[in-house]
Amino acid sequence: MRDTVRKLAATGMALLYGLWSVVAAHGYSFNQIVPDVRQPASVSGGSACPIPSHQLVAPGSIAVQWSTVLGANPQTIRTSDQTPTGSLNEIEGVIQQSLGVWTGVAGTSLTTSSLGPLTRVSTANICGSDGLNSICFDQPDMAFTPGVLAFTRVITADAIGIQVGTTVSTEVGQILDADIYFNQSDSTVTFATPAALSANPKSYDLESILTHELGHFLGFSHSGVWSAMMFPFAPAPGTFTGVRPTVLQPDAPLADDDRTGLRTLYSDPNDTLYVGSIQGRILPANLLSLPTAPPGVTGIFGAHVVAVDVSTGNVIAGTLGGWSCKAPGPVQFDGSYLLDHLPVGHSYSVYAEPLNGAVSPSDVTNALVTLCRNASTDTGWPPAQGCVVPSVNQEFTTRTRPSL
Amino acid sequence: MSYVQRRRFLWVLFLIGMALVAIVAKGTTLARLQFYQLVQHSSAIARVRCVRVDTRLENGEIWTDTVFQVVQHDKGFLPQEIVVRMPGGKFQHLHSHVDGVPEFHPNEEVYLFLTGHPGRQFYIVGWTQGTFRIRKDLRSGMETVTQDSADMPVFDPQMNQFTKTGLKNLPIDRFLEKLNKEIYRQSL
Repeated sequence: MRDTVRKLAATGMALLYGLWSVVAAHGYSFNQIVPDVRQPASVSGGSACPIPSHQLVAPGSIAVQWSTVLGANPQTIRTSDQTPTGSLNEIEGVIQQSLGVWTGVAGTSLTTSSLGPLTRVSTANICGSDGLNSICFDQPDMAFTPGVLAFTRVITADAIGIQVGTTVSTEVGQILDADIYFNQSDSTVTFATPAALSANPKSYDLESILTHELGHFLGFSHSGVWSAMMFPFAPAPGTFTGVRPTVLQPDAPLADDDRTGLRTLYSDPNDTLYVGSIQGRILPANLLSLPTAPPGVTGIFGAHVVAVDVSTGNVIAGTLGGWSCKAPGPVQFDGSYLLDHLPVGHSYSVYAEPLNGAVSPSDVTNALVTLCRNASTDTGWPPAQGCVVPSVNQEFTTRTRPSL
Repeated sequence: MSYVQRRRFLWVLFLIGMALVAIVAKGTTLARLQFYQLVQHSSAIARVRCVRVDTRLENGEIWTDTVFQVVQHDKGFLPQEIVVRMPGGKFQHLHSHVDGVPEFHPNEEVYLFLTGHPGRQFYIVGWTQGTFRIRKDLRSGMETVTQDSADMPVFDPQMNQFTKTGLKNLPIDRFLEKLNKEIYRQSL
């Protein structure tokens, strides 16, 4: 059966098939930052290749505080336990559970030991650029408009030695502050813990929303895979049918796309199971179809490339392809994609699909438009390390060329 | 692989796909707003042209202020030039990322569903949901409108293909007809 599956994978559904190899990771849908190469190499690294935003994972390095001040009119967070202490314990349990979803993924360097203390703060408005990771349920913010349930502000630095509050960057791309805000300004929006959800059918599921926001907190952008935790839309109140974390499988709510992304972002050097890669290029049949500006575009940019496990039909990973980078940079828009940290011993079909629609797909802005810096965006940027992000190529169809 | 094996295999794929489709998306930042809700929540709706984009640090937070020239307003009253504020941006060595925030480029024309008051910054209702990009076909000159949140391709394992939602490539006259009809309906 395995042979036939492999044959089917190679000849059947795939529109585009890549090559197996084990290479360094880049890509997926992460928030990216280009180091400030105008600074000495000792603080910038000297390369203009984008670096995904990431938390440090040394033991105890990810500390989180949360404000116990909850909305009162209406109460933003609905809990099953109505006593003041019980309610806070229930909310804190959800926070711990949601953090555990991400630290429960096998094959990553992000583990429970990476987490510092989860502390309660009894004052309001603790979210802000202070170098402390915070979760706020009752902090007003002008950014909230109808339809925005929650968002995460993630602050990274493009050089070493940059300070935000009490935190100083020791790596480029290090997340210095990540704050999660829940919408408290809309009287029609409430959130309920899993225990309280059935009794509050008009509330959004707190746990899954928090888990999604923690994905941003860890450096993820959005995913185009429907089943992914990082898909940007919530089910309407009363329609939540997702999976809950369990003791045996704390990462149960995640999709394989999320897990693969996490393994790429926080790779474990000792991992031997998730070390497969599929890479390839998406090239136009007619080079004249490529944009003439900016110069140097040699492949399709912004394609959504998805790997599907042939034996299960599960989407294992999706990435936004179209570029590669080799030190000292800048990014080359050569149509490259890389799906990294895939489980070995499986066969995959790879599909590529355009992000049809507007010029710059806004839901994945941070994963695309942040790939380049140049003299227009940053005064004094060295031309040799500058580039311009082309428009996302949204009009193409794909054919299989296995030899590429 | 024999015909029977292949058929069995495809059935297995189909059933797995069905199971996956039943799992509704779990993550969120945005609650999906219907078109009438976008209109309802907007204090102003206008066709605007991006003039410039500024980033500023205010009360310790980084904000991106985009200055737009108002080309035509369909709901509410707006001055000739407005500032639309979104969270995040780049300020000196700090980069503040907020996902789901629309980004604009000078000279780009869009329809925006706005909330706010003249004299102060405006905000976009539902962020990408209240942002409709205008594209002009260079050959025919025809303009179409696409909602930013309609860009997100959704992989459907049942069909083994991507599907999309939201308003896409709608001819501008049809968009305006839909918009004006909804504004009129809500004014009754």
